[in-house]
Amino acid sequence: MGAFQSSPGQPEYVDLKEKTGFSISQIRVLHTRFKLLGHNGETLKRDHFNSIPDLACNPIRSQIIEAFFDRRNFRQNGEGPVDEIHFEEFLMVMSHFKAPSPRMIEERESVRREKLRFIFNMHDTDDDGTITLEEYRHVIDELLSLTEDLGKDTAKDIADAAMREVASTSMAHMEPDEFFEGITFEHFLKVLFGGP
Amino acid sequence: MISIYCWRIFVMCCGEQTWATSRMEMGAKEKNQQLYKPCNGIIAKKPPTSLQQDLKELRGSASCPRSEPQFEMADIFFFCRRGVESILDDEVTKRFSSQELDSWNLLTRSNYNVRHISLRLTVIWGLGVLVRYGVLLPLRVTLAVTGIGLLVVLTTLLGFLPNRELRFSLSEKIHLMCHRICVRALTAIITYHNRENKPKNGGICVSNHTTPIDVIILANDGCYSMVGQVHGGLMGMIQRAMVKSSPHIWFERSEVKDRHLVAKRLSDHVADKTKQPILIFPEGTCINNTSVMMFKKGSFEIACTVYPVAIKYDPRFGDAFWNSSKFGMVYYLLRMMSSWAVVCSVWYLPPMNREEGEDAVQFANRVKAAIAAQGGLVDLIWDGGLKRAKVKDAFKEEQQNLYSKVLLGEQDERDLGDDQH
Repeated sequence: MGAFQSSPGQPEYVDLKEKTGFSISQIRVLHTRFKLLGHNGETLKRDHFNSIPDLACNPIRSQIIEAFFDRRNFRQNGEGPVDEIHFEEFLMVMSHFKAPSPRMIEERESVRREKLRFIFNMHDTDDDGTITLEEYRHVIDELLSLTEDLGKDTAKDIADAAMREVASTSMAHMEPDEFFEGITFEHFLKVLFGGP
Repeated sequence: MISIYCWRIFVMCCGEQTWATSRMEMGAKEKNQQLYKPCNGIIAKKPPTSLQQDLKELRGSASCPRSEPQFEMADIFFFCRRGVESILDDEVTKRFSSQELDSWNLLTRSNYNVRHISLRLTVIWGLGVLVRYGVLLPLRVTLAVTGIGLLVVLTTLLGFLPNRELRFSLSEKIHLMCHRICVRALTAIITYHNRENKPKNGGICVSNHTTPIDVIILANDGCYSMVGQVHGGLMGMIQRAMVKSSPHIWFERSEVKDRHLVAKRLSDHVADKTKQPILIFPEGTCINNTSVMMFKKGSFEIACTVYPVAIKYDPRFGDAFWNSSKFGMVYYLLRMMSSWAVVCSVWYLPPMNREEGEDAVQFANRVKAAIAAQGGLVDLIWDGGLKRAKVKDAFKEEQQNLYSKVLLGEQDERDLGDDQH
């Protein structure tokens, strides 16, 4: 708490604006939030996210938090998890949720792909580019509660049914013994939007 | 006299302040609005609706006719968006740090984004520092020392008086006098509203909690019995002295855990109509004066009249919030004494009683709502203890439950559909 704190001046914000598409005032707001969450530190760790009560209510909070620490979401073509993130990385992940501005049709497609990629990465926890049955089942488990009405088997059934549907749409021919590897990103897109 | 002096200086600086404000925060209005409202433009946030409604909307908008795998995947979007919304802005974490101001009050501590704007502003700020640390602070510290010293000495002396009646009336006067000195030491400019509702003997006074100074501010206007844990050091000495002349309730640390013992001591005190009203802060911790958090129900279980009091500090003159994780008591007091002043309003609300068929929790919420409404604070259901503790898993399970119910509803429809194939 010295007399004058350092804060990113205009040039750094401009740089971030180019990369993420947020406006300067939005970046400033996010920076204040970043500092509040991280108690004025340089980086955020998973614990800092755990201290938000609203987030603690969310059934898939661990997936959401992991998404912030996943290099695939930093748009730098990296892979694997990190332990702490700086403000730039925080902004990168947030930019996935940016409301789309009125743009050309092609850009809108690529924006949509990016957002779906984010969701895909959230399901695909082992970074291998496919969502396997186990991973999908895990997500559904998180969403559902362990009440008696909806037993553990029901969750399994939902996951299995979903995977079967996807398999039947994406692989026209499947031998009875053939093992379905998992949903790739292309299948994911096709299932959700029935398009290329 | 000192307060008038401070006021004059502040008015002088006010002219410069407005100019500084507009220079310093071009677009600040926009920024500050975004701080308190959902951040428009960063993500598209909708007004809060129920889980069912949102999910229906989401599923209805999906284009693919296939219903099964799709609705699970699309549901993720909903929870994901909700999660990121709370990361972006939530009601609770921002209550545990100081409020941000619309315009700068020439205290670097209340400005997170200090940059060099102009020479003129820096000069004024420098003058302000000189005045605050060179003139105001020494005066205030002297007063504070005098006040506390007098309190300790006089109350101890009073303890030797045999006559109970005399001791009681003298103790009231001494307490009032010493608290008034302490209030001057902080240059607290207090406005009391609705004094006809002041707490009477045999009742409990409850108030929202921002800082330990709340105690001095309330005790300035009337005599209360304090409730609290026994401390060591300077605080302990003050506590021991105070209890010699009037009935305060200090607990040993071990006793605090035993709720029945606590409740009994409070009830006994309240039943004795000659004793002063008890002062309790049901939030249990300091909140930053923009909201009122959950009131713990213990004090509302005792059968007696409750006198609610709302305290609101004016943040422009100094930030009164004690962030106990950031700095300790002595540093906090020095900060308070080197701010411009502590300006606050105290509202005495009409007394409330527990109604028929109302349990302690509902009564507590009713009182809390009244205090929040009067003080212009946000009424939150969250527990102030979240400052240090984590949220219970029960909340997460509730959300899971809700979602399961929605799925079950869909499940029944789907089963019917399957049968038809």
